[in-house]
Amino acid sequence: MPKDIIIELTINGKNIKAEQGMTILQAAQKNGIYIPNMCYDRRLKPYGGCRLCVVELEGQKRLFAACSTPAEDGMIVHTETPKLAKARKTVLELLLVHHPLDCPICDKAGECDLQDLAFKYGPSQSRFTAERKHDPERVDAPIVERNPNRCILCGKCVRVCAEHQGVGAINLIGRGFKTKVSPAFEETLNCEFCGQCIDACPVGALGAKPYRFRSRVWYMDEYEAICPYCGCGCTTNLSLREGRIIRARGKDGIGINEGNLCGKGRFGFDYIYSENRITTPMIKKDGKLVPVSWEEALQYVAKRLEDIKGKYGPSAIGAIGSQRCTIEDNYMLQKFMREVVGTDNIDSVARFGYAKAQKALEKAYDVDFMPIKWKAPLNADFMLVVESDITSTLPVWGLNFIKAKNDGATLVVADVKETKLARNSTQWLRIKPGSGTALLNGMMKVIIDGGLYDKDKTSAVPNFDALTAGLKEFTPQAVSNITGISEDAIISLARSYAYPGKRLIALTSNISENTKSMNTILAAANLAILMGDDPDTVQVPAEFSNTAGMWMSGVRPLSGGKDVYDMLYEPGAVKALYIMGENPIVTFQDAARVEKTLKGLELLIVQDIFLKEAARIADVVLPACSWAEKEGTFMSATGNIQKTPKLVAETGQSVPDWKIFRNLARVMNKDLGLKDITAIRAAIADMIVSGETKDIRRSFNPASYEVMETVSEEYPMFLVTSNILQHSGALSVLSKNLDSVVSDAYLQVNTKDAKKHGIHDDAFVRVKSKRGEVYLKAMLSDEVPEGTVFAPLHFAHAKVNALTYPSLNGGLPLVAVSIEAA
Amino acid sequence: MLSENAVKEIGLIRNKYHDAQSSLLPALYVVQKEHGWLSPEALKEVGEILNVPKAEVKGVSTFYAMFRHRPIGRHLIQLCTNVACMIMGSESLLNILKERYGLEPNGTTGDGRFSLVVMECIGACGTAPAMLVDTDFHDNLTEERIVNILEKYK
Ligand code: SF4
Ligand code: SF4
Ligand code: SF4
Ligand code: FES
Ligand code: FES
Repeated sequence: MPKDIIIELTINGKNIKAEQGMTILQAAQKNGIYIPNMCYDRRLKPYGGCRLCVVELEGQKRLFAACSTPAEDGMIVHTETPKLAKARKTVLELLLVHHPLDCPICDKAGECDLQDLAFKYGPSQSRFTAERKHDPERVDAPIVERNPNRCILCGKCVRVCAEHQGVGAINLIGRGFKTKVSPAFEETLNCEFCGQCIDACPVGALGAKPYRFRSRVWYMDEYEAICPYCGCGCTTNLSLREGRIIRARGKDGIGINEGNLCGKGRFGFDYIYSENRITTPMIKKDGKLVPVSWEEALQYVAKRLEDIKGKYGPSAIGAIGSQRCTIEDNYMLQKFMREVVGTDNIDSVARFGYAKAQKALEKAYDVDFMPIKWKAPLNADFMLVVESDITSTLPVWGLNFIKAKNDGATLVVADVKETKLARNSTQWLRIKPGSGTALLNGMMKVIIDGGLYDKDKTSAVPNFDALTAGLKEFTPQAVSNITGISEDAIISLARSYAYPGKRLIALTSNISENTKSMNTILAAANLAILMGDDPDTVQVPAEFSNTAGMWMSGVRPLSGGKDVYDMLYEPGAVKALYIMGENPIVTFQDAARVEKTLKGLELLIVQDIFLKEAARIADVVLPACSWAEKEGTFMSATGNIQKTPKLVAETGQSVPDWKIFRNLARVMNKDLGLKDITAIRAAIADMIVSGETKDIRRSFNPASYEVMETVSEEYPMFLVTSNILQHSGALSVLSKNLDSVVSDAYLQVNTKDAKKHGIHDDAFVRVKSKRGEVYLKAMLSDEVPEGTVFAPLHFAHAKVNALTYPSLNGGLPLVAVSIEAA
Repeated sequence: MLSENAVKEIGLIRNKYHDAQSSLLPALYVVQKEHGWLSPEALKEVGEILNVPKAEVKGVSTFYAMFRHRPIGRHLIQLCTNVACMIMGSESLLNILKERYGLEPNGTTGDGRFSLVVMECIGACGTAPAMLVDTDFHDNLTEERIVNILEKYK
């Protein structure tokens, strides 16, 4: 329905304007008029189940549910009349027949819609008596608790889970009074544990276990902060009691996420309370890390850095920044390195992730940074997602793809894994791992051969001939061999992609994903340019909370310095390394090689919040404040720069990263000139501009399909790695809440492969590659096809990165492995 | 496990409808026709074929009274005991069923031959008492007639 048609109606004597297509409830809300409601949710289709939103329409006898009646021009609406009060009172009376009235021990009390509405309209007693519900509470699942007795059967949780979240883990089971919200067969809930249903529930029927009996709502203060995990940059509302964060919620309409959160944002905040936190500076003495004072630690670092600089020159010193630290922290790290140490050897893990996207988009469009557009999926008619589990890596942005599909757009997912997007797609093409680049090339070949591209717009783009030459070998037949899908499927995908309409290709580029390379992104850009589409039809998000901000603040070689590949994989390339907020032994590929390089250093300084693998082998360990313990700014994947406040006290003697650099510079007799956060912000204000202002220059860049390792008799299967939904890098595993959902690494094996190798569910499997071997627990699943296994990388002790290897540019770092029952 | 035929039939049904949700009810009928009831395994299978979450399949199937969630006998007797049938003697029919076959409302005979459900008016008040056996309709029942009829269902 056209949104731009404005209608006028009267509510309670007040003339208001609304857009055509709005319901009466939406029109009222937009104009600040309150109508009680319990089953309405902005994100969902109208339901009309609770009947609290009834209103009177002049000229009509019966009552209308405001949430499911369209507003019409000239309507005269009354929302508070004696007749309505009576109707609402009856509804509430009926709801209270079975409701347990255990408000004194219900965590929802004080912010419960039923309580509030019963107070406003309700009777103190019900005229009806019947048996109160007395089902047992279900606290057997992680994170989500269910109390069916308090449930008013509004169905919001069910609809949020299925319609909005794309999961459908729960439903209203049964009919009439006996209806219960439950997984299909009353089994223990096993879902993605996003907690969206908890926030949606108007009463205390669904709760967050970590918050169970922890407080009463009126004892808490609530603050807005930016989620520390992924590049979405969601606003999360944190409730504090006595200085401690005890829960996080999304609040309707707040932040870019408009109140949505994923499980990481909603439950993962407790990592800051991990027992692993570093509380004092430490120096290695006689092979052991011992606590020292800040003064001693900084003096020591200063002296050792000066010594190494004196002996080998400044280029023997390098630094690694962090996608999790704030812009201020990263800015001060590079400023310290450049101005006090005098080195350009500064880089980060993004080299193997987002930097590939950056490099590809720079080649294709000549821009330095291309933020994603939050609503891009919602404006598209045809979305193609290539080997990217977007609802795991950027969960809330990923919801927009599901919404767009529900609203009628076509979503095609090309992936070896049956991801959530694949399940919610119009079409899922199960391609062989790593073959996305070839698929994109194959599509372009069909489009060019069929003359389906935009000839006007491409005529001025350089390198068209090189592109067509490069595509020569990507015939449907060849691509069918590489991808494992039929020639017809490739041809029809290409044709439907070329069909007039608004197109979108989305993919992610993260260090943990080994099925894509820079060339995959180049191929996507080539395709977009070929079709004459705008650059924002290629959406490649920055991965973590401050990946974009770190990049923009100069944490990368700017004048020929060594990158992270040299520093970590070329022993001796540097003699000293300063690592901030990163644990390369877990996050980087070929972990053994990285560990060897780190152990061979003359000086390793690790500044972090946790004492983990890299910190344990460091010469100096400096305790940094975590996200909630300091003020700072993040730049999200959309290029939004958002402030996040200091909410809790520093742990032990920890200090914000930026301040450590300021202090260290002072000890080294240099003043970085920026004494506090305000000064830093002023200094970086003009350095951080989003890439949009620059003119775009398109060019084609043939993207070859290079697999760096193929399967062999010895290693007959492909190992696919990536992030999983409940975790984020190596950080989230320190959250007890998230750990209660997935606490250990696993290896997904197809049931047929498992049978062939005699592997049982939950039993250990030996996984071997050319570089090493590890033991993982098997998870039998048809989410992966035969010949492919999958493992997440988050868990340090599982050492999955002992199997992998790095690839900087166009090569696909696919890993060939063998598996056997252990 | 659903038979190949059932899977095929459900596939055909799916193609008739715009979305998977709409094809759910007819698909459940196919399963019930084949198995006599909807086992958890069958519900899961339907969900997988249609790409509908199993919780939703279960939710829908428990909402509608015509779906059975327990195994039933080979033949389902739906005997009316509403006003007209009651006046015309349905109670004695219930007794016969109990004496002769050990069959109680909502029960199944030990040999799996009959299941019995008591109905509220099946629209045959003029020729009461009446019952349905599977899809066959029988009215003007007497103690003698009901036994004769049932003996035809093995
Ligand atoms: S936590 Fe999320 S996935 Fe699980 S039932 Fe609730 S909404 Fe569904
Ligand atoms: S659990 Fe809460 S959201 Fe779900 S139906 Fe019950 S009252 Fe509504
Ligand atoms: S989507 Fe990303 S930013 Fe939003 S809550 Fe989840 S992890 Fe945090
Ligand atoms: S909010 Fe309208 S019926 Fe529930
Ligand atoms: S009462 Fe039995 S058929 Fe109507």
